[in-house]
Amino acid sequence: MLRITGGKVYDPSNGIDGAVKDICIADGKIVADLDGGSSIDATGMVVFPGGVDVHTHVAGGALNFARGLVPETQRAARKFLHTSDRRSGLGGMTPTTFATGYLYAGMGWTTVNEAAVPILSARHTHEELHDIPLVDKTSLVLMANNELVLDLLEAGEIERAKQVVSWLVWAAKGYGVKAVNPGGVTAWKWGKNANTLFGPVEGYQKVTPARIISSLAEIVDALKLPHPLHLHCNNLGVPGNVATTIETMKVIDGHRAHLAHIQFHAYGGDDWSSMRSESVRLADAFNAQKNLTADAGVVLFGNAVTITADGPWQHLLYELTGHKWGNLDVENETGCGIVPYVYKDRNLVNAVQWAVGLELLLLIDDPWRICLTTDHPNGAGFWRYPEIVQLLTDAEFRKAQVKKLPPKAQQRIVLADLDREYTMSEIAILTSAGPARTLGLSQKGHLGPGADADVTIYHEKPENGRFFTSPRYVIKGGQIVVEDGDVRATTAGREFVVHPACDDQIEGYLRELFPKVYTMSFENYPVEIERLRHAQIQPCL
Amino acid sequence: MDRILNGVRIADTFAEAFDMRAARVVITAASPKWARTAAECMTGFATSVIGCKVEAAIESELGPEETPDGRPGIGVLLFGFDTEGLTSRLVDRIGQTVLTCVTTACFDGLPQSPERVPVGGILRHFGDRFQSSKVLESQRYWRIPVMDGEFLIQETFGIQKAIGGGNFLILGANQDAALGAAEAAVDAMRRVRGVALPFPGGIVRSGSKVGARRYKKLIASTNDAYCPTLRGRPDTATELPDGVNAVLEIVVDGLERSSIERALAAGIGAACRPGIVEITAGNYGGKLGKHHFHLHQLPLD
Amino acid sequence: MPVTLVLKTPPPVPLEAELLTPDAIAERSRADICALPVNLGKRRMRLDDFFDVDGERSDEIEIRGDASRVKWIGRGMTRGRMLIRGNGGMHLGSGMTGGAITVTGNVSDWLGAEMKGGTIRVQGNAGGQVGAAYRGSLNGMSDGTIVVQGSAGLEVGMRMKRGLIVVGGRVRDFAGLQMKGGTIVLAGGAELRTGAWMVRGTIVALSSISLLPTFAYACTYNPTFLNLYAKHIATLGWTIPFDAREGGYRRYTGDTCVPGKGEILVWTGF
Repeated sequence: MLRITGGKVYDPSNGIDGAVKDICIADGKIVADLDGGSSIDATGMVVFPGGVDVHTHVAGGALNFARGLVPETQRAARKFLHTSDRRSGLGGMTPTTFATGYLYAGMGWTTVNEAAVPILSARHTHEELHDIPLVDKTSLVLMANNELVLDLLEAGEIERAKQVVSWLVWAAKGYGVKAVNPGGVTAWKWGKNANTLFGPVEGYQKVTPARIISSLAEIVDALKLPHPLHLHCNNLGVPGNVATTIETMKVIDGHRAHLAHIQFHAYGGDDWSSMRSESVRLADAFNAQKNLTADAGVVLFGNAVTITADGPWQHLLYELTGHKWGNLDVENETGCGIVPYVYKDRNLVNAVQWAVGLELLLLIDDPWRICLTTDHPNGAGFWRYPEIVQLLTDAEFRKAQVKKLPPKAQQRIVLADLDREYTMSEIAILTSAGPARTLGLSQKGHLGPGADADVTIYHEKPENGRFFTSPRYVIKGGQIVVEDGDVRATTAGREFVVHPACDDQIEGYLRELFPKVYTMSFENYPVEIERLRHAQIQPCL
Repeated sequence: MDRILNGVRIADTFAEAFDMRAARVVITAASPKWARTAAECMTGFATSVIGCKVEAAIESELGPEETPDGRPGIGVLLFGFDTEGLTSRLVDRIGQTVLTCVTTACFDGLPQSPERVPVGGILRHFGDRFQSSKVLESQRYWRIPVMDGEFLIQETFGIQKAIGGGNFLILGANQDAALGAAEAAVDAMRRVRGVALPFPGGIVRSGSKVGARRYKKLIASTNDAYCPTLRGRPDTATELPDGVNAVLEIVVDGLERSSIERALAAGIGAACRPGIVEITAGNYGGKLGKHHFHLHQLPLD
Repeated sequence: MPVTLVLKTPPPVPLEAELLTPDAIAERSRADICALPVNLGKRRMRLDDFFDVDGERSDEIEIRGDASRVKWIGRGMTRGRMLIRGNGGMHLGSGMTGGAITVTGNVSDWLGAEMKGGTIRVQGNAGGQVGAAYRGSLNGMSDGTIVVQGSAGLEVGMRMKRGLIVVGGRVRDFAGLQMKGGTIVLAGGAELRTGAWMVRGTIVALSSISLLPTFAYACTYNPTFLNLYAKHIATLGWTIPFDAREGGYRRYTGDTCVPGKGEILVWTGF
């Protein structure tokens, strides 16, 4: 039992905007009031619901492949030494499992969504999620290049496709459906891509990226999954791709969808030398289409490792950098590409990318619909979120950074003209309340009675002008786990999964299909629920 | 007051010399003959910085222990007024006469000098991207593919302050005597390191004065005060004592004051012999050059 | 007066002793030297748990004993001299930038890996990855000199950028793998795939070696730059032939599959 008293509470879900009030915790939940228990004096501090990361890559085959590809960063990485209550680990751009939990919680984040899981290696993802301490997790299952599903869409069998999707989500013990470069990763198996929404996907006559997108959005809504279809649009990263993004938004119209890392999808220009920001155009379209949410995918200057299922895009990036790269094929399901990358402020394209992420965050008017992410580790390490918060809340500082960019880059962006400053309440929405609502985790992102007691308490006066850097306290499930940036207790987080309605008969269909298309036997394919640590089924809508 | 050395009067005067900048080039080849061939070609048409843009001459013959690659070599000195000009001369001359000469390699002869200029760094482009380099003991060497193998040249050459225009004049009884004395002087001076004699065979027969009396635009003209055929004319004042019928001048440039002093002393010592009346030196009243070499202060004998 | 460290008994598992450097020892008293931390597996221990320490405050260090399980000796050192009378372990002189190390016996893998300056001499044999890049690093040694009198293992000079490696005995596969510059002298022969993926740099083989088909023969000649190298290598106590009266070098350029502009020079003595 714990009472937090004297702090300024930011709980936008419940309309609390800096009021000094008590927050009471019992049995891991927020309660209205409390008798006895211990107390934290939070005078001079602000009280936030724990951070929620709606899109990150922290566990599984792709990430582990990336770890293997960059041993030189492991050597230089921050070392987490083994102590009596803490496991060992490495930081760097692709932190190891235990370190991931310490780093997220150390920053005040308490829930993370692993954004891309191939079903074939979902077991590996869950084993790594199992080992990430402190934070709660969800994971999204890759579906938009799954040939079992695409074959059914080709045959026009949308109902059976829905059953297969439902079965696959539960087999993978996932939380939602992820679509990455719909049709493009399938085409990559032929060495091609899918650059137009309405052209047939390589190997198919009728299936187009548009059809995949609209079908999956329809299926996700029909299955009433708490989180909408999570979509990494076609033509990621390519100059001029804003047109594809806006076209995609029209294709989805009528259904829910969450657009992933939209910064990478907001470019104008015809080629790398003319590439520019089209954030205004994208924000306008996004603001108008209220069925959509998104996460920012901000790029920050410095090291990154690009890890996506978007095989063809990763190959293009490899050709641009000329350094090492990795590419994986997942039979029948998806692909994966890894390219270590450094964003440089002297690089014209990188400078535009840096600006676009911030522009979108400032131009999108409803903070409930946009979430703070860097598509870690693609845009920047997640531990750099405090840098972005500073750029959003301090216009003068932000404009000073814009002036440091190459003059040519400054002509391609609008960031210097934007004066908006995020309020504390808007930051709480951006980093917690909004993503929790988008994920459909009603027990997260707020401090009202019944919520999970995930609370982060910061000093009100930021050090180095940067808020969030070192929380005074982080409370997870009612227990103080971090104090003064130091991990005090390592609890195990929970993993949320969904079990959507599914027609039993579909198993017969799949059981017959498997030996013809998969090298793994049907019996071995679904992940046993016992493999997940503290699995909890989140009800569908 | 006069001094006499071996019966020759040494005038109580000084040579006036100037600040210059110098480079030193070590040319090696498969044989001494080819190193010398390249060096002679490189130092051709380099008598006076006024007319030739550089003064250059062979400084020394180098044995295998003295060259970076252990092959026979020749040391060459070049003198100019400024670093930029010198750099251009190095690039032009080495590029046209050393690079082109069979079996040669080319190294910097002033490795301690902190001021460095690119020479191999520019000439490497002749390799048309087929060139490669090696770095050894913090020095970069370029290997330029050529038809007989590779031309090896150091990337940077040192430049240092130097002195140009040290001199003395041999006043002889006749041309033969003056020439014999001058040749002896040149032999002796060429054994001194750090100096070079830029004029043909080391000897100037056409000593000059600044400007001209009759041609307004002429920078230099014949030194009529020392021309024997003009003695006695009313329109000129001669400097020639009785008995002098031919005068020759030795001009020496050097890296240090001490090297020039040693060279002048060696040369004057060798020139003081029968048939020579006087040794004197050229100056401009001390107003133009800041380096003065007083003949009586030289380490003669 | 050098500081002397005598190994009491070889450790049962590798001992990690990064602080065995002149930099760490030069300003320390004997008591402080004894207390220098070393890691035996996951246990932090003291230097004098393993070594008898004599002397203090010197940048000359002598180590005696079979230290073949002592790792990281001389790591990152910038100055001073180390003499190992005996064997040394893995990562000897890794990342060093100055100073000199001499070993009378053998050493293990990763000798002088990613070093940036200084000199290492090994009278016995070395392991693999001499002067090499660690996995994932773009570059191996970027300057300095390594001389191994005996044999060496795999990937000698892998991804080296600059500097000089001389090996007297035979080296194993992949000497000069992905080399970017610098010079490797193989005085005692090599196994397979020498110079694979070479981009730049020079491998001088003083005896015939097996060559990849992607290396193209150019000519037989006497490159003048080897005269320079011969003089320099003579100061290390080694000779390489260069005189046209004694023979010439067959020049092979490659690795053409990269495409590389490196060279392998193979001596053909008369």
